[in-house]
Amino acid sequence: MSAEGNSGELSRDERRTLDAVLDEIIPPSADGRLPGAGQLGVSGYVDGAVRAMPAVREMIVQSVAALDEIAVRRTGRRFATLEPPDRIAALDDLAASEHAFPPVLVLHAYAGYYQEPAVLAALGLEPRPPHPAGYATIEGDLTLLEPVRRRARMYRDA
Amino acid sequence: MATDPVDVLIVGAGASGAAMAWSLAETRMRILCLEQGDWMDPAQYPAMRGDWEGRQLTDFGFSPNTRGRREDYPINDAGSPIQVSNFNAVGGSTILYAGHFPRFHPSDFRARTLDGVGDDWPIDYRTLEPWYDLNARMMGVSGLAGDPAYPPKELPLPPVALGVLGETMARGFNRLGWHWWPSDSAITTREYEGRAPCVNAGTCLIGCAQGAKGSTDITYWPAALRKGVELRTRCRVREITVGADGLADGVLYHDAEGALHEQKAHVIVLACNGIGTPRLLLNSTSKHFPDGLANRSGLVGKRLMFHPYAMVTGLFDSRLDGHAGPTGCCIMSHEFYETDPARGFVRGYSFEILRGLGPASTALWGLQAGRVFPGTGHHRAFGELFDHTAAIAAICEDLPEPENRVTLDPQLTDSDGIPAPRVTYRLSENSQRMLDHSVARCTEVLQAAGATDVVVQAPLPFAGWHLMGTARMGTDPETSVVNPWGRCHDVKNLFIVDGSIFVTAAAVNPTNTIQALALHVADTMKKNLATLFD
Repeated sequence: MSAEGNSGELSRDERRTLDAVLDEIIPPSADGRLPGAGQLGVSGYVDGAVRAMPAVREMIVQSVAALDEIAVRRTGRRFATLEPPDRIAALDDLAASEHAFPPVLVLHAYAGYYQEPAVLAALGLEPRPPHPAGYATIEGDLTLLEPVRRRARMYRDA
Repeated sequence: MATDPVDVLIVGAGASGAAMAWSLAETRMRILCLEQGDWMDPAQYPAMRGDWEGRQLTDFGFSPNTRGRREDYPINDAGSPIQVSNFNAVGGSTILYAGHFPRFHPSDFRARTLDGVGDDWPIDYRTLEPWYDLNARMMGVSGLAGDPAYPPKELPLPPVALGVLGETMARGFNRLGWHWWPSDSAITTREYEGRAPCVNAGTCLIGCAQGAKGSTDITYWPAALRKGVELRTRCRVREITVGADGLADGVLYHDAEGALHEQKAHVIVLACNGIGTPRLLLNSTSKHFPDGLANRSGLVGKRLMFHPYAMVTGLFDSRLDGHAGPTGCCIMSHEFYETDPARGFVRGYSFEILRGLGPASTALWGLQAGRVFPGTGHHRAFGELFDHTAAIAAICEDLPEPENRVTLDPQLTDSDGIPAPRVTYRLSENSQRMLDHSVARCTEVLQAAGATDVVVQAPLPFAGWHLMGTARMGTDPETSVVNPWGRCHDVKNLFIVDGSIFVTAAAVNPTNTIQALALHVADTMKKNLATLFD
């Protein structure tokens, strides 16, 4: 259980572990253009997104605790300090246990990551909400309808 | 707040309840609408914030079972491959709908006569035509005249932009010689009746902060309220009560705090959608109606129709600018709408070409589709999809079957203790064949447009947007629940105006027809006020 309790924010240690997990879900890009999800602190988004879902949040908190226990048992160190091969091994152990992360974690990780301004900018998008400015697009060429206009009536009388 | 009897009590402030309230308001009768949801504040819609896409996973999701909003009621849809999607607020599901706004075809009202399946409606296209026209003006519908798939019609606004994606798909349809046309859309493409034009934000499915999409909280309701209709929000109707004469005499409803109230009325109109209306009728039992109100035919809750959806997404090498434009409104095709026995099924389907997805939605869709996994290779896979996809939704006509139905769940209840609806539904063989055919044709046209690969999802599991048929219209009280103008055969001061009264489902989005029906029912009521209960 989080030091702040089920309704509070994740503790610093819990967020550190969760961000390390998120870096495994969305790692930095090979060309260095895009950071990992944990590097961006997406754990904060995940924590907020599941706050209204106490059961899910509790599962994530328990998974984080179990993962650190596994890491300490295997290496004597917490998960966030491990090298990639040890992280993968610890996550495999966790997945085989009763405390596997709920699948919804990946959904919120994706949502949080691809809403980060740094990621949007790296994708060539303006890092802003869609409203009020919206987006420009072409009206399109309605002369493309000419062959359709030449068709006979398609509907049936009834 | 009045609690003494009103002339007309409307339950539900969504697509049909709003149209009904506005139309009846000119009678100067005392009209009250009870709505379990609340007013939405467009300034608070997700599109105003950077986390807008993620809100589709939480409080702006499609399913009332996962949104966590107090205004929603749970729906047990575990017994259906298609899950129910709705929204409870002033505006109802028009808050989240795409605004894709086609009309039925004339043949949709004669499925039995023309194709030997389903049933004929007791009204026809000509009956609804003036109400489609009026609804287009009230909702602010854009489109283009001259579509050979329809009888002539005029719409008040020019069509939505095709965009790069729409042009790309249009060329694909032309290569195959197939029909396509700019979609009829309840989206303002110019300033219209105080509404701003669409800015192509692509956020239609989480509420339109621009006010360009025609949700009834910004179309019918302001006009109805100006004409004196009272709208009471956060009021969840539990039961319709019946007097000694067997007529409906009011409702019991819970307020926001759960307290129970009684509201008497001379006329009651149900506008709660194809799930909520049978739920309420079945929960309204009495000595006159032990099997549920207006249910002497035994048909309340039966003949549930969705539109089974196939969604086929094409992957393109070129960028499609797909995130710009109204999400569900671009172009449509009715090439396979009318029956052709050579296809191996009866009736048909339409194509709704969808815009592309934002970055988070692309990643989430890619995960669901098995294309964008966590870990190594994530960024490469994402890059192949983002702004490189165009999707086609094939909307297949469902046929009415008594086994597909809404009942009351024996255990599950909402926060006020009212039994939740339970949905039992299976795809018919005809629907499955139609889905298979539509997938093959979607694939063909996507490839003709330049797609290098496709991803198929059929039936689309979360696509229970269209809820129809559970209190069908007809002339015979033995085989229908309401008459040709929405009045219950068994209870002559009880009317239904939502998708429940559909006889068949057609193969297009139903909201335009739901509202045209509501306007038709209201008009008939107004013409027969002196003899309304005869």
